[in-house]
Amino acid sequence: MSTASIPTVASTPTTPTTPSPAGTAAIVTAEHVSKWYGQVIGLNDVSVSVPPGVTGLLGPNGAGKSTFMKLITGQLRPSKGAIKVLGEPIWRNPKIYFQIGFCPEQDAFYERMTGLEWVRALVRLNGLDEKAADEAARRALASVDLMEAAGKKIGAYSKGMRQRVKMAQALVHDPQLLILDEPLSGMDPIGRRRTIRLIRDWGRAGKSIIVSSHILHEIESMTSNILLINNGRILAEGDVHQIRELIDEHPHTIYVRAEQPLRIAREFLEKPEDDVRSMKFEPGAVIVETGKPDAFYARVTEMAASGEFGAIDEVTSPDDNLQAVFQYLVK
Amino acid sequence: MPIHDQSYRHYGGGRAPVGRSWLIIAWAGIWTFLRKRAFLGLLFGSLIPFLVRAAQFWGSANMPQLASLAPDASTFRRFLEYQSFWVFVITVYVGAGLIANDRRANALQIYLSKPLMRSEYILGKLAVLFSFLALVTLVPTLLLLLLKVAFDGNFTFLKNNLFLIPAITISALLQVLLASFTMLALSSLSKSARYVGILYVGITFFTSAIYGALYAITGSSRVSWISIGADLEQVVDVIFRLKPRYATPWQVSLLVIVGLIAVSISILERRVRGVEVVT
Repeated sequence: MSTASIPTVASTPTTPTTPSPAGTAAIVTAEHVSKWYGQVIGLNDVSVSVPPGVTGLLGPNGAGKSTFMKLITGQLRPSKGAIKVLGEPIWRNPKIYFQIGFCPEQDAFYERMTGLEWVRALVRLNGLDEKAADEAARRALASVDLMEAAGKKIGAYSKGMRQRVKMAQALVHDPQLLILDEPLSGMDPIGRRRTIRLIRDWGRAGKSIIVSSHILHEIESMTSNILLINNGRILAEGDVHQIRELIDEHPHTIYVRAEQPLRIAREFLEKPEDDVRSMKFEPGAVIVETGKPDAFYARVTEMAASGEFGAIDEVTSPDDNLQAVFQYLVK
Repeated sequence: MPIHDQSYRHYGGGRAPVGRSWLIIAWAGIWTFLRKRAFLGLLFGSLIPFLVRAAQFWGSANMPQLASLAPDASTFRRFLEYQSFWVFVITVYVGAGLIANDRRANALQIYLSKPLMRSEYILGKLAVLFSFLALVTLVPTLLLLLLKVAFDGNFTFLKNNLFLIPAITISALLQVLLASFTMLALSSLSKSARYVGILYVGITFFTSAIYGALYAITGSSRVSWISIGADLEQVVDVIFRLKPRYATPWQVSLLVIVGLIAVSISILERRVRGVEVVT
C-alpha cells in the first residue's frame, strides 16, 4: 500500500500563511522542523499545518509526539526550521502563552496543595489578580467536574482526578488553543469517557485542541481530524476514517487491569460478537486480542459502569497494533 | 445550594502584561515561608544581635559609664560579619528547595507554559532569598546607623563616617547576592532540597577547611582565595576601609566572588528549563 491512499500525505511543505484544509488560518504551522538530541533524532524535517478545531496527534511511543508537543508549546527550540502558533513564533514569545493551555503527560504539581490552590496559583501567572484568579480557578475546576474535590489535597486524588486538575490548569485562563499530551493515559473507563466528552465539548465551544495519544480509538472518539506521526515524521494528516479501515484489518491487543480479571475474561468469552481471539493473564490484569476493538472498548465501559465486575482500574492498548499499521502504511 | 454553571464561559477580565510574573513567583515564595512558625522563629533569632547592638548604642549615648561602648565604623563591619551566621542558616533553610522542589514536582514545565520567561522565574526565586537575606543584613545594619544618629541627637557620627552608607549597602549586597546566586544554582542541580542543603554546607566548610590546611602547611594566607568565606571577608574589609586580614590581593578575592556569581548564572541558564534534554 502506498501512502497515496491516505487522506493527505504530509510530505508537501506548507508555509505559515498556508490556509488549512478547512480554508481557515492554521493554528500551528511547522516548516521543515527537525529536532535532534545529540545523535538521536526526535523529529525529522516536519512540515505540517494544523487547522482549527480538535486535532488528534497519533503515533506509537517514541514516534515523536511528545517532541512535537514540546516544540509547539515552546519548551524546546527546533534544531532546524520554524514553528508558528496562532500566527506567531512560539520560541521565546511569552505573550503567546496567554492564548495557549498545556496539559503535560506527566504529573506536575505539589501534592500537598489542594486542587483549588494549585489552579489558582497557576492562573495568577496569566496576569489575573487574586479575586479573578479564584473565580477562574473555581470555574475551571467546575468545568472538569472537580469542584467537589477542589478543597482536597492533590496527593489524595485518583489518577483520573489528577488528569482533570491538570486539564483545569490548562483551561483556566481561557486559551484559544489547548494542547493535551496523552490526557487519557492511565485513566479508568469512566474517567476516560468523561474526559473524552469534555474535550468534545470544548471543541464545540470553539476551542482549538491538539490532543496526543497512541490509541486510535481514543482519538477517533474525540475528532475525525488526525495527524499520524511515526519515526519522527508526519506520516499522514486528514480524516481518521480512512486510517481506521486499515487498522481494523489487524487484531488489536488491549490490556485491562481490574479487580476481577477472570470474571471479565469469562464474560468476553461468552459473547462471540466481541471477536476475542486470544487472552493472556497477568497478576490483576487480562490482555485481550480482539478483532473488533470498537465493540470491545464499548463493552468494557459498560461493564465498568454496571459495577458488576468489580473495579476496572485501567484500560490501555500497547503500541504493537498501531506500529504494525504504520509499517504497513510506509511500505 | 448553589449550582455551578457547567458550560464554558470566556474570561472577560483584565490581565497583567508580560514581565511582571516574577513578582507573583516572589510573593508566593515569601508567603510560603512567612506562614512557617519555624522560619519566623529563625527570623526573630536573627534580629537578636540587632537588638543587642541597639541597646549598646542607646547605652553609650545616654549613660556616661557606658561611653566606652560607643560604636565606631568597625562596629558596623563586625555586625555584618556576625550576621554571616544567619545568612548561612537562612540561605540553607530557604534556598535549598526553591528550584529543587519545583523540579521534583515537575512544575517547571507547567510554569514555563505560562506567560513567564525563564529569566522571570529565576528573578522571582532570587527575590525570595534576596528579600530574607537583606532583612538580616542590609536592613538591620542601616537601621543601626539610623539609630546611632537618633540616639546621639546629631549628625556628627554620620558626617565623619559618611562612607558607611555605601559601604554597608555594597557589602550587604555582595554577601546576599553571592549566597543567593550560588544557592539557587545548586538548587537547580537536584530534585532533593535536602541534598542541595548538604551540598551547600559541604562546599562552604570544605573550601574553608582546604584553606585552613594550606595555611597550616605554608604559613601564608596568600591562598585564602580558596575559601569563599575568606574572599568575602577580604573584600568587605577593604570596602570598610579596614586593613585586609589575608595576604591575598583583594582584587583576586573579588574576582573569585564575581566568578562564582557568573558560574551560578550560567548553571541557572542551563538548568532552568521546562524540559530536561539529556544527550
